[in-house]
Order: sequence, then structure tokens, then C-alpha cells
Amino acid sequence: MNLDFSNDEKEFRKSIRQWMKENVPDDIRRCTARGAMPDKNMQQRWERLLGSQGWLTSTWPEQFGGPGWSATQRYIFDQERASAGAPPTSPFGVAMVGPVLYTFGSEAQKERWLPGIQRGETLWCQGYSEPNAGSDLASLKTRATRNGDHYLVNGQKIWTTQAHWADMMFCLVRTDSTVKQQQGISFLLIDMKTPGLEVRPIYSIDGHHHLNEVYFTDVKVPVENLVGQEGMGWTIAKFLLTHERTTIAGVADIHYEINRLKSAIDALPTETDKQLAVRRLAGLEVDLMALEYTNFRTVAATDEGKPFGPESSGLKIKGTELQQRVSQAMVEIGGLMSLPWDNEEPIGEQIFNQASRRYNFLRACTIYGGSNEIQKNVLAKMLLGL
Amino acid sequence: MDFKLPENTTMIADTARRYLKDNYSFDSYIAQLNESNHLEANRWQAMNDLGWFGLPFAESVGGYGGSLLDVCAIVQELGAALCLDPFVDLIVSPGKLLEFANTPTSLALLDRIISGEARVACGLYDRHAGYHVLNPSLRLNGERLSGQKHVVSDGGVADAVLVSAMSGDELAIVALPFDACDVERYRLLDGSRAASLTLDDVLITDEMVLCRGDAAKQAVSAWFDYLCALDCARMYGACREVYQATLEYARTRKQFGTTIGSFQVIQHYLVDAFIDLQQLESMLLMVSVKGESANVCERGRATAAAKAYYANRAVGITQQGIQIHGGVGVTEELNIGHYFRLVTHASLSHGDREHHMSRFIQAGEKQNEVV
Repeated sequence: MNLDFSNDEKEFRKSIRQWMKENVPDDIRRCTARGAMPDKNMQQRWERLLGSQGWLTSTWPEQFGGPGWSATQRYIFDQERASAGAPPTSPFGVAMVGPVLYTFGSEAQKERWLPGIQRGETLWCQGYSEPNAGSDLASLKTRATRNGDHYLVNGQKIWTTQAHWADMMFCLVRTDSTVKQQQGISFLLIDMKTPGLEVRPIYSIDGHHHLNEVYFTDVKVPVENLVGQEGMGWTIAKFLLTHERTTIAGVADIHYEINRLKSAIDALPTETDKQLAVRRLAGLEVDLMALEYTNFRTVAATDEGKPFGPESSGLKIKGTELQQRVSQAMVEIGGLMSLPWDNEEPIGEQIFNQASRRYNFLRACTIYGGSNEIQKNVLAKMLLGL
Repeated sequence: MDFKLPENTTMIADTARRYLKDNYSFDSYIAQLNESNHLEANRWQAMNDLGWFGLPFAESVGGYGGSLLDVCAIVQELGAALCLDPFVDLIVSPGKLLEFANTPTSLALLDRIISGEARVACGLYDRHAGYHVLNPSLRLNGERLSGQKHVVSDGGVADAVLVSAMSGDELAIVALPFDACDVERYRLLDGSRAASLTLDDVLITDEMVLCRGDAAKQAVSAWFDYLCALDCARMYGACREVYQATLEYARTRKQFGTTIGSFQVIQHYLVDAFIDLQQLESMLLMVSVKGESANVCERGRATAAAKAYYANRAVGITQQGIQIHGGVGVTEELNIGHYFRLVTHASLSHGDREHHMSRFIQAGEKQNEVV
């Protein structure tokens, strides 16, 4: 038992902290401190900056261009990233299609796509959900019909985050409707500029455009963009669910949010208001500590070569619940100061000015990536044997 | 970081689990519940033989040098077995206070605890001071002690007690015989035995005062943190059993022609309990290490967080355990309700949730001062 970081890890932290101090661009830092979300330009500048250090793909094995960090180092990096006010990186390239490609892809596919992800140049989006296939993903209907050296894709995807930014989509399509649902699904890489592909915006309750509908009308996708074999799509999708999720709880970013909120307590009107806010924050901090130590355990286990399996779903469930509770606390503690929506100048503490947008945005986090109820169904089956 | 238990701790835990499995059933518990004397001679001797009496104390004071982690491993199993043998009340609790007090008289008494001769309890609480153990209402005026002590956990058999008292502005720890006090004995929520003591100008001698001032404060504060960690260990053991039993019940209990575990709402309750148990385990590992940290501020913050968290989630698991069991869950004949009482008890001894939230906030402020 040892709950301390080693001296080497402490040195690593120091060097990352210094680098963050010198390199996180001011406009991005200010944007995060305000509680706003980075725009495409900021997001991509930040990811390219990490890419130029070889740090964007820190979870990848060294042979595919990862920096060779331990899970503990990755965890420390994430803590320093968040506390420096830098945004999390977009998961679609780095955490999703990248690992799929180096695990299931052909040599040609790896060569073609991995470098762009590594350098932060190619932006990806995830074509999974459909209007009638949300939590019940396996019922998806978008179909790909083989036609010589290409597939013709027809159908519709929905809730596609950043489709309007993306260069490429990884997409689950139905290639066979004569077999069991799960066995007829394939994994395709689709260029977003292909004729017949149309992206339409969906505005979220935070007032911003993150989500889209994507329509496919006879979209031609070369067969070399099929990953693995036809019918392997479901296996690949499940692989992603158990792929490393040591930062899925969002502990580092929750710390950042709690600290932001702490710094604003002095702006509250009365001593009683302040005391109640301090008490509420302490409750959130205690819950965060329980999540963080569970997270540490998964990190330590990963470094011992015994990564947590489906147990890490617990991190997703508790982490997203806590993100929501912190964002709600921010709005409620801000009170009147949280009400203005599109004003330039905050009527009180700056932090509360964007709080309600963030609160609205985060209602999605218990839904995306497999709703928490679906996570619980999976856990009940896989771990509890119910 | 490394969360693997040392091999020695695993051995201690395995031994405790096996010993209790062979020697302490639910029936033993029910039998003990109906006794006012909780010191059962054979089991007491067996625990002594297992080396538990010396384990919590440093080798320099005649113990076997076990860590808090080791003691938590035993207490966890005692909680899991609902065991009422007063190992904590008569060995660990008074022994640690004497060890922390670290004076020749206190260590001499500790010797007698380790050898199994002494029956000493801790009297650090009274209803006037509540959980504020550094400011008890008992008064030491010159050579006279006056006031009350409540919830003095003693297995129903202690003949001596370590009490805390204010001597002017100074905290003092005094050892005195039970029969110097007016004693009322009773059962507590978890089934354990305790007493209320009324002291009416009890005459004491100098050598009965074990320590005073900062030394006494430091000893009581270290004792409080240590006992908080043990509360968590005990609750964890109980929650582990409730979770297992409830899962098993959901798998086998049939209603509407199928097992209740096939219903989604029951599945989600159980997954919630599974995840909470995982986090409770994380907090236990944390507090088992930091609960005896030399850094007093870190130690206090850790025990405050752990106890506050347990008072919320450990209690929640046992409540839900009753709910899923349905009617049988609220009966005296099933163990589930007894675990609920144990966990509720442990969440209220050595500081309740709000007390620990306040400590947590204060520790955070102190930490900021240091930084």
C-alpha cells in the first residue's frame, strides 16, 4: 500500500506543469475559466500543439506513436492539463477510431489514418446513433450495399457531435439484414466531403451547436474503408466500451470546476449564503474524493497489467452524475447571477455568467456514450450475473 | 501508487475471516445480544491466542507493531460477522489512547491490556459536549472530578475507565475505577454494551492523571482519527455482507413467476450498491493509510471525508438491502436489519455526518493556510 506518487512521477508532474504554464494559449485558458466551450479553432490549435509534442495520443502504445507513458503518468498529465485551464481533447479520433485502427485495421489503413490523428490534423466524428437506434444501438438501419469496389450508404445518423467540424466519420452500418442484428453490422470510415452526405445542425439547450443529423443518399465509400471484416462492427463497438477508461470519470475537470466555484464564494451576498455554499461544496468534494481514489485504483491496476474491465463503467456513472451535480450547484449558488443568458458583461461574478449554459450542456453527459441506465444494464448482466 | 494489501495484512484478514466463520455464527450473535456480559471467555482467549491483543500497538510499547491497515482488516471481519466481542472497546480503543498518551503510567496500563488482564474502557463522550472530544463537560477541579460520561462502550464488563476532563482550559486524561462512579448500564443500537457514568466530586490522586494539556489533546485527537477509521472498516465489512446477501436474494427470490433479479429496477439498485461498495472500499483503503498519518491536518481531513462518505453511502446500502428483501428485511430474525443497525450505529459513533463535514471544511481551510 502506498498512496503517494513516486519521485519520478512528481518530477514528471513538475515538468508538465511548467510546460502547461508556458504553452496553454491565453485565449483558451480564459475561455475555460469563463466556463465556456472552446470553438473549433481553439480546439484544433490545442490538439495540434499537443500533437507536436507527441502527447495527443498519450494512451496509444509506443509502437503506434504513443509517448510510452504509464497510466499514472497519463493521469498526472490529465490533472495538470485540467488545472491549467486547457480543455479535454476530442475523444473521437484519439480515444475511439485510433485504437480501433491499430487493433483491427489493415497496414494500409494504419498508415493512411493514424498520423493525421496523432498530429491533431484530421477531425473525426462518430456515426453510431440513429433516430430509432439510440440506447438500442444494435437495431440501427443505415445500410451499406456492396457495389464493386465501393459501398453505397443510405440512411440517417443523429446526435453526431462535431460532424460539422469533422473531416471523417467512423460509422456503424448494416451490411447484412438476413442474420442476427448484431452480426450484420460493419464499421466504415466515411469522408465527410463525399457527395450525397449532408450535415444538418441540432441546437442544444445550452444554445450552442454541438450536435447534428447526418443524411446519407447513395454515398460512395471505397471498400478499403471497411475496418476488419463485414459483420465485425458490433465486436469493434464493444471493444471500445472496455478500452482503457482511466480518465473517463472526468476527475481532473471536476476538480477544476469545484475550484472555480470556490473562488467565487466571496461574491455571495451574505455570510449565510457563503456558509451554505461552503457546506454544499464540501459534500461534492467528499464524493469526488471517493471517485478519485477509485480512479487511482484503476490507474494503479492498469500499470500492473490488470486493467479494470466493465467495473470502470462505475467511473462513468459516478463521474457524470458528479459533473451534473457540480454544474447544478454552480447555477444554484450563483442564484440571480446565473440568470442572464446572452449579456456581454456579467452582472456579478464572471463564473456564474456561463454557469447555466454549462449546466444545460451537461444534462447530456449521463446520456451520451451509452446512457447511465444502459451502463447499469450491462453491469447487471456482466458483473452481477442478473 | 499501490493499492495492494501487504501480504501480512492479507494473512491477518484471512485468519480473522476463518476464525469468525468457525466460531461466530448469527446464532452466537443473537445469544450474545441477549447477554449483558459480552466477554465470552473462550473466544476472548482465542483472540488473545491469535495475537490480536498486541497487534495494534508498537513493538516499543510491547505490541506486535501492526498498522492501522492490519487492525482495519480484523475490524472489517468483525463487522461482517456482526461480532459483538468487545475487541475494539476493551483492547484497541483504550490501548491506542494509552499508547498515544505515552507516559510511564499509561504504558504500564497498556501492558496489562495487551496481556489480557485489564478491563479498561474509554469514556471520552458526554451528551453535553457531543462529538467535540477536545472539550468535554467533565470538570477536574483540584483533586475532584465532577460531571457525566455517556455511551462508555465497555462490553458490559469494564472495571476501569479512561475519562477526559477539562482542568481549567486544559484537557486531561484520567484513569479511574468504575466503582468511583455512579454507573448505569445499557445496550446500544448495534447490540453492544455501554454505560453512563456520573461523577460527583470523585477524589483522584496525581498518578491517576495520565496526561494534560497539549499532550492530552494530541492523544485524544489521534485516538479519535484512529477510531474513525475503524468505524469505516466495520461498516465496510457489514455492507459487503449485505450486498452479497441481497444479490443472492435477488437471484433466488421468485415473484410473478420469475426471480426479482430479472426486474430492471432491482438490477439498477444492485448495480448502484455494487458501485457504492467499490467506492466505499476505495475510501477505506485511503483512510486505513492516512488515518494514522504523521501529518495531523491530512489525517483529520482523511478521516472526516471517509466518515462523512460512509454515513451517507454505507447507510444507503443497508437501507436498500432491507428494501430489496421486502418484509423479511425488517424482521429481527433475518440478519439484514441487524447489519442496518450496526452501520447506523457506526455512522453515529465518533462523529456523525455533519460533524465530519464541518471537520472536513476546517481541515481544508487549514490546508490552504499551510499552502
